[in-house]
Amino acid sequence: MPGDTKVLLIDDDEDFRASTRSLLEGEGYSVSEATSGREGLEQALADRPDVIVLDIMMETLEEGYGVTQAIKFQERFRDCRDVPIVMVSSIRETPDERFPMAGEVDMVRPDRYMTKPIDIPRFLDLIQRVTRGRRASRV
Amino acid sequence: MDESRPETVVVIDDDRAIRLSCEKILVRSGYEVACFENGALGLEAVADRKPALVLVDLKMPGISGLEVIARVREIDPTAVVIVITGYASIESAVDAMKAGAYDFLPKPFSPDELRLVVGRGLEKRRLVQEARRGELERELLKRRFVTFVSHQLKSPLVAVHQYLEVLKRLGDTDEVRPKREMWLDRCLERTDELTSIIEDWLTLASLEQASFSRTREVVDVRSTIRKLVEGYEGTAAERSVALNADLPASPCPVSGDPTCLAVLFDNLIVNAIRYNRPGGSVTVRAECRPGEVVVSVADTGIGIPESCLPLLFDEFFRVGGRGEGSSGTGLGLPISRRIATEHGGVIDVQSVEGSGSTFTVRLPRHELEGAPDVAGADTALEEMSLP
Repeated sequence: MPGDTKVLLIDDDEDFRASTRSLLEGEGYSVSEATSGREGLEQALADRPDVIVLDIMMETLEEGYGVTQAIKFQERFRDCRDVPIVMVSSIRETPDERFPMAGEVDMVRPDRYMTKPIDIPRFLDLIQRVTRGRRASRV
Repeated sequence: MDESRPETVVVIDDDRAIRLSCEKILVRSGYEVACFENGALGLEAVADRKPALVLVDLKMPGISGLEVIARVREIDPTAVVIVITGYASIESAVDAMKAGAYDFLPKPFSPDELRLVVGRGLEKRRLVQEARRGELERELLKRRFVTFVSHQLKSPLVAVHQYLEVLKRLGDTDEVRPKREMWLDRCLERTDELTSIIEDWLTLASLEQASFSRTREVVDVRSTIRKLVEGYEGTAAERSVALNADLPASPCPVSGDPTCLAVLFDNLIVNAIRYNRPGGSVTVRAECRPGEVVVSVADTGIGIPESCLPLLFDEFFRVGGRGEGSSGTGLGLPISRRIATEHGGVIDVQSVEGSGSTFTVRLPRHELEGAPDVAGADTALEEMSLP
């Protein structure tokens, strides 16, 4: 069981958050939510989640990439730097396709990318895999 | 392009007489001209001043004319290069064209010949730039369209899909039941949202197809506005927004499709309520002026950032994406503009971020035939519009 594994869900769609939260809580995760990139970053600092599930298009078109970039490069978020990020979006364009220039994608790359609607078994499996090592290291 | 600024022409020729005559002729034609005696100086100026057109002598000491052409093309591919050639041999002109020159001018040339060749070169440049702008616009529209489909259309579907899938996983237990009721309601709301986006989209598409084939009748926009304002009183009150109509005593007749005209004002009023704040107000004003009927919808809402104003009436453009609580389809304003245009009118916006926006629609006023007496016409219309 995931036990006290914490998932931070950053998405502006309240319905997507509601169903994803139930899904994850049903698997035993504890879930917190944020509705924008800015709010999500603050929450990441406060909550220290074990994984961040992140949307791309929110108030602004590429808000999710702003979040990954901030976590990777801003000093303020250095303690969150090793939190795995699973990007989940309706956009079909993968991060590699969106940022084709060499090196560019490394600035914004999430650890995993899935398009919506998500394949639920795959999603749960992924969340479990990326958080497994982290819980072990924390205990 | 900035029409008020003269275009710059750079002349590179080691022959002083040619430089002087080119300068004199082209300055008189309204161009800004800079002349240089060799390729090195000329290229420096090209990099520095970004001229629209460069005249190059093919045979010069130092950097050859052919090399100058290639380097100019590197610095600015949009600059037009014309070669001046003293020995009008076909080969040298062909070489120059291969290197990227657009045209050539054999020496000696008359002022008219110079003007003609330069004018033709600049015209070509304008066409290329226009084509490029069109390409950029198409690219932008395509990108916006993809955004629209993935966000506005796909998001509600994704939300519904995931509710249903999670419900299926959770099964039918007492614990799940209240959640299920709530989620099914949300599913219905989201499918309604999707339907209204698609309806708007279809409206826009139909407006694009059938121009002027619609019904035309005389509409008093006062009654259109009155009905809309009555209809939205409840919505406005829920949001603590005061909705007022300021209408003149005499009719405001326009000729058009009553349903379309209602949609035009409906979109503006809905936006004014939606992008307002509690305690704010919306004022819908109609005025009948000579030759035109002017309707304005003013709100005391959040306003629109200046950078967004030029794109506001474009399809698939929405200020700031889909925030919580604002459920617009992003197609309302394009639809309103299309309807205004179809009726021979215009729509315009003035906005101050943080303090509100005013949308103004100007439509041609309908003049009753054989009724030069305006007062009489007004009375006739007033009678007509009575229920």
